[in-house]
Amino acid sequence: MTPTPIRLTLADLEACFEGVIPSIISTADADGLPNISYLSHVAVVDDRHVALSNQFFAKTAANIRLNPHAMLLLVDARNSAQYRLELVFAHTLEAGPLFEHIALQLDASSAQVGMAGIMKLRNLDVFRVVSIEPIPSQVQTAEPQMPKRNRLAGAARIAETIAAEMDADGIIDAMLEGLRTEFGFEHCLLLQLYEERNQLITIGSMGYVPSGIGSDIPFDEGVIGAAAAGGRLVKLSDMSRIRRFGAAVRGSSADENRTRAIPLPGMPDAMSQIAVPLVAAGAVRGVLFLESRDRIAFTNDDEAALSMIARQAAMALALSEKLSLETEPQRSVPAQPPASEKTVQVVHHRFDDSVFIDGDYVIKGVAGRLLASMLEQHQQSGRLEFTNREIRLDAALKLPDFKDNLETRLLLLRRRLDEKRLPIRLTRLGRGRIGLFVEGQLRLSKDVV
Amino acid sequence: MFGDEIAGFIESPVMQIIGSSNDARQPEIGRAVGAWMSAGSDTINLLTSAWQWPETVANLRENGKISVTFARPSDYVSYQLKGQATIRPAEPDEVERSSQYIVAIVSTQMRLGLLPELIMPVLSNRDPMLITMRVASVFVQTPGSRAGERIWSTTP
Repeated sequence: MTPTPIRLTLADLEACFEGVIPSIISTADADGLPNISYLSHVAVVDDRHVALSNQFFAKTAANIRLNPHAMLLLVDARNSAQYRLELVFAHTLEAGPLFEHIALQLDASSAQVGMAGIMKLRNLDVFRVVSIEPIPSQVQTAEPQMPKRNRLAGAARIAETIAAEMDADGIIDAMLEGLRTEFGFEHCLLLQLYEERNQLITIGSMGYVPSGIGSDIPFDEGVIGAAAAGGRLVKLSDMSRIRRFGAAVRGSSADENRTRAIPLPGMPDAMSQIAVPLVAAGAVRGVLFLESRDRIAFTNDDEAALSMIARQAAMALALSEKLSLETEPQRSVPAQPPASEKTVQVVHHRFDDSVFIDGDYVIKGVAGRLLASMLEQHQQSGRLEFTNREIRLDAALKLPDFKDNLETRLLLLRRRLDEKRLPIRLTRLGRGRIGLFVEGQLRLSKDVV
Repeated sequence: MFGDEIAGFIESPVMQIIGSSNDARQPEIGRAVGAWMSAGSDTINLLTSAWQWPETVANLRENGKISVTFARPSDYVSYQLKGQATIRPAEPDEVERSSQYIVAIVSTQMRLGLLPELIMPVLSNRDPMLITMRVASVFVQTPGSRAGERIWSTTP
């Protein structure tokens, strides 16, 4: 006799719902003739209901309307433990938050395999779970090797360090460093949404070489774009069969100079990805993106913790933009004689506002325009210090109407110049104040081609 | 006879899922570990574990109504066969045939990158039972536009 199993709940079966190993449903028609279907997605609705998406198989849908009983076979993706769930059909969903969430996941994973729009979610069938039973196995199923970390306490500590920071630099570093030390995540990007370009631009990066600071992706492309466009978290737990988006590695600076685009960094062998929208005051401001070589690297607890951290960072970044307008009292900036007699050649291409320093592509768009403006003023009057306030008020800069992102644009520019080790650098002189450093004799030219 | 292509497919290393139901029309799921044609007929043999899938065995004893899906792990090409089955304890040569299948499907899955410890828990031929199924119809079940299409039947 098999001993009576411990009563299982849907919460115990978390790893079965990652979409890694296909689930299988058995139904029977009015005559009791059975039918088997593989399912693309099974989602937990609440502690007594599951929702199934059935894109292709009309027979299952027809059977459950004749006979509401069904049997579901789930497999734990971590150790292949099997469970049989006795179900009774409850109702169909064609809209609502759960429907939207699953539709978004489906869209993101379909787009990654080049099937965007094909696996369109039409409806979800919701079933009540009558019983959950483990299937015996001749092989001792391995216990998942997951470090036991308290995500709630970790999230609280990261939120605390973010809250202690005043400026975008500190906020982003506190978040990325916290995700590494508290959660053990090694590869992470923070992308800011720049609406005027309909793009997400990398302003924070951890674990990638080159860092990809300044790289951009369209608002609705890939996992990151899907999270931004939908305003919801998107997760992929097993990418072994998924052709990776942007797999072509274009890392050389020579390539950047030709394309005027910075490649988005990525792990060619990533197995798990998660993209969490940064939401503040009801609007998506950016996306926190993490990836891992482990399958199912991100659990439900991670989803909750990362959502909290992303919201905290979004709020802190929004506040830092406001605070950066309150310029700190003037501090004297020592006049910098050029450290070198060498000429620093800067070209500003007006058609896309791209800036090249000594032939190296730096940045384009609003950030490029900001840099060119500061350099022009430096060339004319020798200025070495600027304030956020004056930049915002400078009509010649043609900043977009929504000026919430100035602080992060300056941060992006500063980090990009640092990473490329260019003879022109920006420094932060205090809240709302930027210092310019030119190592040599500046020669700025504007080009319209 | 429903064709050499299907016969070859079910005997290749593909995942095998059994659907059955009891007389109260409660559906059930089980797995088979090995399938082969009976020469020159519309009958196939499948081996299953009564220890792992007792409800499936009970249902097939009760009414014999059966559907079996065969799915190739590499590309999800799938067929579903429906029909009527009888069931009895398996003979040693039938268990041997099942063991050969288990070796083949584990090798196939490992080539796709799965670790053996993640394949073995779903495969068992403990308390082996032989299902003999008279096939009444064959359906395409590969995900896509042809899914659900009937490609063979004993009745027109």
